[in-house]
Amino acid sequence: MKNQRYRSMPPENAVGRRDFLKAGGAIGAGLVLTSRSLLVAQQTQDQQPPAKPAARPPKPKTNIEDALKVPKTKWSLPGPFPGRVIEVHDAAAMPDGQVNAAVVKEMVEKGITGLTGKSLKKSFGLFFTKKDIVGLKVNPVGPGLISTRLEVVDAVIDWLTSSGLPRKNIVIWDRFDYMLRDAGYTPERFPGIAIEGLQTMDEAAAEGKSTDNSKWLNADGTHVSVPNFDQKVFYWADVEGPKDLPYLNQHVFNGKHSYFGKLLTEKLTKIINLPVFKNTGNAISMATKNIGYGAVCNTNRLHAPLFLDVCVEVPAFWPVRDKMVLNITDGLRSQYDGGPDKNAKFAYIDNRLYFASDPFALDMVCHTRIVAKRKEMGVAVNENPRFTDYLRYAEKLGLGIADPAKIAHVKV
Amino acid sequence: MPAGGSSAAGQTTAGLPAIPEPGFAPGWTKAGPLRTFTGQDLFNQIDGGAELFLEFGFAKLRLQAYARGEAELTLNAYEMESAVSALGVYLMKMGRETPFPEIGARNSCEEIQLTILKGRYFIQVDNLGEVPAWTTEAVALANAFLAGVAEEKAVTPIGSLPAEGKLAGSERLIRGPYGLQPYFTFGEGDTLSLGGRTYGALAAYRMPGGASFTRLVVPYPDPEASAAALAHLKANLDPYIKVTADRPDGFDFVDFQAKKGTVVRSGAVLDIRFSITD
Repeated sequence: MKNQRYRSMPPENAVGRRDFLKAGGAIGAGLVLTSRSLLVAQQTQDQQPPAKPAARPPKPKTNIEDALKVPKTKWSLPGPFPGRVIEVHDAAAMPDGQVNAAVVKEMVEKGITGLTGKSLKKSFGLFFTKKDIVGLKVNPVGPGLISTRLEVVDAVIDWLTSSGLPRKNIVIWDRFDYMLRDAGYTPERFPGIAIEGLQTMDEAAAEGKSTDNSKWLNADGTHVSVPNFDQKVFYWADVEGPKDLPYLNQHVFNGKHSYFGKLLTEKLTKIINLPVFKNTGNAISMATKNIGYGAVCNTNRLHAPLFLDVCVEVPAFWPVRDKMVLNITDGLRSQYDGGPDKNAKFAYIDNRLYFASDPFALDMVCHTRIVAKRKEMGVAVNENPRFTDYLRYAEKLGLGIADPAKIAHVKV
Repeated sequence: MPAGGSSAAGQTTAGLPAIPEPGFAPGWTKAGPLRTFTGQDLFNQIDGGAELFLEFGFAKLRLQAYARGEAELTLNAYEMESAVSALGVYLMKMGRETPFPEIGARNSCEEIQLTILKGRYFIQVDNLGEVPAWTTEAVALANAFLAGVAEEKAVTPIGSLPAEGKLAGSERLIRGPYGLQPYFTFGEGDTLSLGGRTYGALAAYRMPGGASFTRLVVPYPDPEASAAALAHLKANLDPYIKVTADRPDGFDFVDFQAKKGTVVRSGAVLDIRFSITD
């Protein structure tokens, strides 16, 4: 092989057509399941212990009723534009895989004004005051490929500051401090802006490379990040977290409570959610997952029994419900399979940003789009309604709109 | 020597393939320490994406970054519990298989990420630095690691899938609900009673007459196990599935899109077709 320089990701849809044609061309004939092949397969698995039929797992109880008891405010979800989703597309956003910051800035401005129908300054006034402390919840997973683009965050900061919000009133945040660093969210890159992880994690201890737990574990057996979480405000689910030290290192607590970060309960007065357009298994990992699993600790225990419900029930609590006023899904480079971690086989440049005050309508629009993309690319997709049931659940709770007939999806 | 240390033979004393020294190509240095994740700790690295690896049988992830100026390569070496486990993950992650012939193992690569299978290892090399590394350098890193990985034969039920009508490249292994998730939902949890032990084989079919469907063949250890699995499946069907014909050895159904399906038990095997279109 010659020394090849890096080539950018293919332009949008270019691979899709090629893949589609190739998949369609591979058609065989006939269908017989022979007794011989069955015997071979059976013999193969005879070496293994018999499978045990699994019981139907019950859905654990949660404290969602506590969330619903708190009266809503004028800022509560779904915000001023329930069911309204703006999709901005500009083919010049990522030419050759490199972000054109000026184009992205224009896209952000189009999206915001398209959502509100007002000027940028008046739009600011719909969501914020100049005294607000605004948290920008990014997704730093998959840095370099599928994390929130720094240029999108730049454009949002430009809008906020040009509207009169001091830079010191802006916080870029995620659950993990080290992930923010890895994804390029550093004080040097964003001068004057606070960068905060809800918690730290000692990677060396987590990886078993060090038996010295003193960097994250206090003498009393508690995590050093415990003070960062508000033990008065929590999502409770009847699922215990594992009791091992690596889990505690990563999740700060390991009981049945997932506490909200004090950053959300005490410091931030508004939140802009900045997820990435990507999948997690057959579902999506976008607006509601970015905040649902990002705002609280002790989440790993929730994945299996309550995975998508968490994307509704955590945002139903006031630190998110009454503060998260805007969502912008970064689909400049998107990923339709292999997520939520980065997977270059399924990442593609799509040059799109999506805007909504209603994260559930936003996720429904993006779910529909990712289903179409998977079909276009010949990737299996399961359209069972259970993968969007959580969005309808949110609508029942009055948090957003999930019915496509009620969603105004506007393309700019 | 600690696990992950290198030796001339490419194997560590602990039997693990050595993480390559920076000499795989000129000018490279290690960027940070070797990071290791075992068992459930995988969630630390791919929170929300670990389930599939764990379902297939995950043992250990070793992750090492290298740098040359602003170029960065990261080796992600997933040790699975067996060659079948590694193949199961690879088939899920490979996409349309686009191999680089210079890599000494089965692979499906893009210039910014190499995806490789050898023995019980599923390997990815990320080329995502500020400045991209040369592809030859990424390949050299991959090959340096592969030199220490033993070949292992993966014995799978894929061969039990009939060849006629099968779409090339659509074969997958299924070992539980996460792997099955993109294809079909039979119900909540492990409705097929795979138990994290039994592998099924799945593929897409398109027949000469135009019919298409997905076929899943699960060879259980014995007829009693397949009978128990069938009974469990019938008792725990997804509410979106409507049974249209019930038989002692199986049933017919329609799904939420009115697409037909069948489940047939024959000896130790469950033979399932779904998303049938005429």
